[in-house]
Amino acid sequence: MNLLRGGIDFLTASGGMHGWAMATAAVVSAAAAVVGSLLVVRRMSLIGDAISHAVLPGIVVGVLLGGRPGGPLATAGAVAAAMLTVWLAELLRVKGRLSEDAAAGVVFTTLFAGGVALLSAAASRVDADPGCVLYGMLELVPFDVVEVAGIELPRAFLGGVVVLAGILGTLWMTWRQQLATAFDADAAAVVGLPARAITNGLLCATAIVTVASFEAVGAVIVVAMLVVPAATAELLVSTLPRLIMVAVGLAVAAACSGYAVAWQAETNAAGMIASLLGVAYVVAVVVAPEGMLARAVARVRLSWRVVCEDVLAEAWRAEEAGSVAVAAPRGGMAGPLASWWLTRRGRLLSNRQLTPAGREEAEMVVRSHRLWETWLGRHVRLPVDHLHPPAEWIEHYLGAEMRQRLEADMAVSPTGPVEADPHGSLIPPER
Amino acid sequence: MSLLHAAAASLGISSNTLVVTLAMAAVGMAAGVVGCFSVLRRRALVGDAAAHATLPGVAAAFLLTGSRSLPVLLAGGAVSAVISLGLLVLLRRFTRTREDAATAIVIGVSFGVGVALISGLVARGVPGSGGLERFLLGSTASLSASEAVLLVLASLVATGLVIAFAKEAIVVSFDPGFAAAAGWPVWWIDFALVAITAVMVVVGLPAAGAVLVTALVVIPPVAARQWTDRVGVMLCLAGVFGLVAALAGVVVSAVVPGLATGPMVVLAAAAVFAVSLVCAPKRGLLAMAMRPKPSIMMPPEGPRERSRS
Amino acid sequence: MSTPPLLELHDVTVAYHGRPVLWHVDLAVTEPCLYGIIGPNGAGKSTLVKSALGIVPLSDGWVRFFGEPLDRVRGRVGYVPQRESVDWDFPVRAIDVVLMGTYHRLGWLRRVGREERRLAESCLERVGMADFATRQIGRLSGGQQQRVFLARALAQQADIYFLDEPLAGVDAQSQQQIFEVLSSLRDEGKLVLIVHHDLRTAASWFDRVALVDMRLVAAGPTDEVLSRENLARTYSGHLEVLDELGRAVEAGRRTP
Repeated sequence: MNLLRGGIDFLTASGGMHGWAMATAAVVSAAAAVVGSLLVVRRMSLIGDAISHAVLPGIVVGVLLGGRPGGPLATAGAVAAAMLTVWLAELLRVKGRLSEDAAAGVVFTTLFAGGVALLSAAASRVDADPGCVLYGMLELVPFDVVEVAGIELPRAFLGGVVVLAGILGTLWMTWRQQLATAFDADAAAVVGLPARAITNGLLCATAIVTVASFEAVGAVIVVAMLVVPAATAELLVSTLPRLIMVAVGLAVAAACSGYAVAWQAETNAAGMIASLLGVAYVVAVVVAPEGMLARAVARVRLSWRVVCEDVLAEAWRAEEAGSVAVAAPRGGMAGPLASWWLTRRGRLLSNRQLTPAGREEAEMVVRSHRLWETWLGRHVRLPVDHLHPPAEWIEHYLGAEMRQRLEADMAVSPTGPVEADPHGSLIPPER
Repeated sequence: MSLLHAAAASLGISSNTLVVTLAMAAVGMAAGVVGCFSVLRRRALVGDAAAHATLPGVAAAFLLTGSRSLPVLLAGGAVSAVISLGLLVLLRRFTRTREDAATAIVIGVSFGVGVALISGLVARGVPGSGGLERFLLGSTASLSASEAVLLVLASLVATGLVIAFAKEAIVVSFDPGFAAAAGWPVWWIDFALVAITAVMVVVGLPAAGAVLVTALVVIPPVAARQWTDRVGVMLCLAGVFGLVAALAGVVVSAVVPGLATGPMVVLAAAAVFAVSLVCAPKRGLLAMAMRPKPSIMMPPEGPRERSRS
Repeated sequence: MSTPPLLELHDVTVAYHGRPVLWHVDLAVTEPCLYGIIGPNGAGKSTLVKSALGIVPLSDGWVRFFGEPLDRVRGRVGYVPQRESVDWDFPVRAIDVVLMGTYHRLGWLRRVGREERRLAESCLERVGMADFATRQIGRLSGGQQQRVFLARALAQQADIYFLDEPLAGVDAQSQQQIFEVLSSLRDEGKLVLIVHHDLRTAASWFDRVALVDMRLVAAGPTDEVLSRENLARTYSGHLEVLDELGRAVEAGRRTP
């Protein structure tokens, strides 16, 4: 309750300054997340990086011509710069025979440098310093207001809302085309979809989002806002609509909390937002469905299953050989631990002999082993004494259906139905 | 030493400034030479990731040691650059994230962390923290002669290593499969090349800043490639172009007040590249335009450029 | 104790990203010959060569050259990789590429000298490319490029040569020239293993052949191996099993 109270106080303090700043950040990062989702899915992240740097001269020219950093002139300049970047990079690649990455690198660093130089040269006329260009001034956004229908709104917020609405609207209208080109642009073009236009539209949208984010987070950090939410979402979900929604959710959460934390810690909001996004990505890498944690757990479970099955199979072979004393347990901790576990689960008796349930399971392991040896012997050129090692590890991967298939496959071969493996041992039947 | 003073006096500048300027020239040369291999390996943007990633290291070094000395700060930058490159490798191996997205993530997030750290320090009025901002876009104004000498040493060592091991670097860059089969430790040589590039990126920070230093490592090699078909010549030319670009950029930004060095260095390099693109023999645009229109220029199964992905 | 085989593979299994793509290959070659490795596309022929040379790690099994592991006899094994992954815009000339074959003998830090240059020139001469020594490789035709890479392998002065699809996309004249060079290598007592894509020409060119399709189907003298039965076994069925099993191994679970 106190937390909620504190939160509301924070948001509404000083005429809603924090609230508006957060709202602007949220709106702008949502727009970036949407555009970025398409960039990431189409493996165009680095083009997004290039464009977000290269729009600087366009913005500066727009401002010098009398516009505002977030206004239509600057936006037009940014879009022009973006298109110039793409066109120049392509030209360098084809005519200059540069590789793709080198062409992009040359063009966007040059354009960005040109933008900073222009900015410095016109410093008297333009109210921006290079640092602001790089990481924005979110804290100042609420103070640049414009009146709309009697309400005072920060300019950057308004711009952000317009951009977000435009992007969502365009996305909704062109959804099917977006999906097709995202999946395979060339195939889409062949089928007659306007793949080129869609791609150019995406690049324009990147430029527009960069402009909208400019005052809030600057040129370099917008890269983080474009790519990181989408890359994080990619680890968590597998369809594009869900990816976009998760990316937007992450972006908004990071924007709001980033701003709040930055305020408390007295540090730059944009930097904090990017840092939190990075944290979110790392967390996703670890806990995602196919993430590091999940894979580590799966590996441990596999090893455990293998050890248990090996113990059972050994017991069965000992039984088959007629020795009452079961073979000595395997070295190390795994063997005795597995035996203990199997005893608890009713597969082994306390004297390490098989229970009926254990015998069933063990038989299937041995069956897998010997079937595989036989199959190898028939279809792969291997001498008989080389058949055991492969079967030792393959036996753990054969399921009932596969075993039926192997048996059926060998039953139709000229040497007749199979009952014994190449060593002459009987293959236990399926249960 | 007195030669230095005499030369500086004749140019009308302090000997300190002269040393710093010459140091920047050395840095530019080394960056050009070292950068050839990133460009040849088509890994130009990995250098960009390393460059942005120096920022949190520089800020952390300041935070932890309170020292403003350049070697300490650059060491911090080098550590974080190498860590970020390691992270890139890990991301590629252990996640589904693709290489381009992983590079962009490292670029954006590391820069954000760096900015957060630096602005936090500045806001708290920690003495000396204001100087950290020169690492964003480059500034030679506060370099001392001894720091400049350190940069020169690092540049010369990096260049020396690359030239000494040029043939190993070339065979690994051109045909890693063949090199591996022949017994070369391809992974280690690759790692060394990337590490040296990261070091050069760090050394170039005073000259161009984190955002633009990648241009020093990319543009001179690309310009040099236009003039020659031989790797050895390309290395030399890239060094020359890098030297000229750094020198020109530093001088211009010193003469015109209020201009950071980074943008000027990059623009100078871009100018060199533009000239190379147009005027180079055989590959230049002019040369290709003036060639007689194709009769049978290419042999029957003409060479096809396949881009490696 | 008899001399060890020139090349021996024992239970070689190779996996990409945890998924086995080559299963339990067992092979021994005892005499110098022209040895063809054939099979369907994507069935592991290149993988077999790359794993033998240590370019791709083995999941299981081992490989011996003259009875020794590769690291001890690197200088005696030459390699001509597939041309697909080469960067043709790389600033090297034909002579520079061939000189790369001498690098390993030079070792670290030493520079290329007159002796190496003479060797490189004679290798280019042997493949008929002496006139193109200073041409940048991107300006050569497919057949010419392939001959340059063969010259590079010759400069390695090896006793065993691996070639990965050396005749793919090569004009007929170059093919003939390459084949003549390879035959002369065999006549000099070298073992030449060639991954080859074309079944029809295999019969006339190779002394011995191995049929590979995710596993070794058959190996031995060409006419014996290229029987209809073996071909049917190679180019058809039995693979869904290995495919599905491979996926299961990659995912770490049982097949259904």
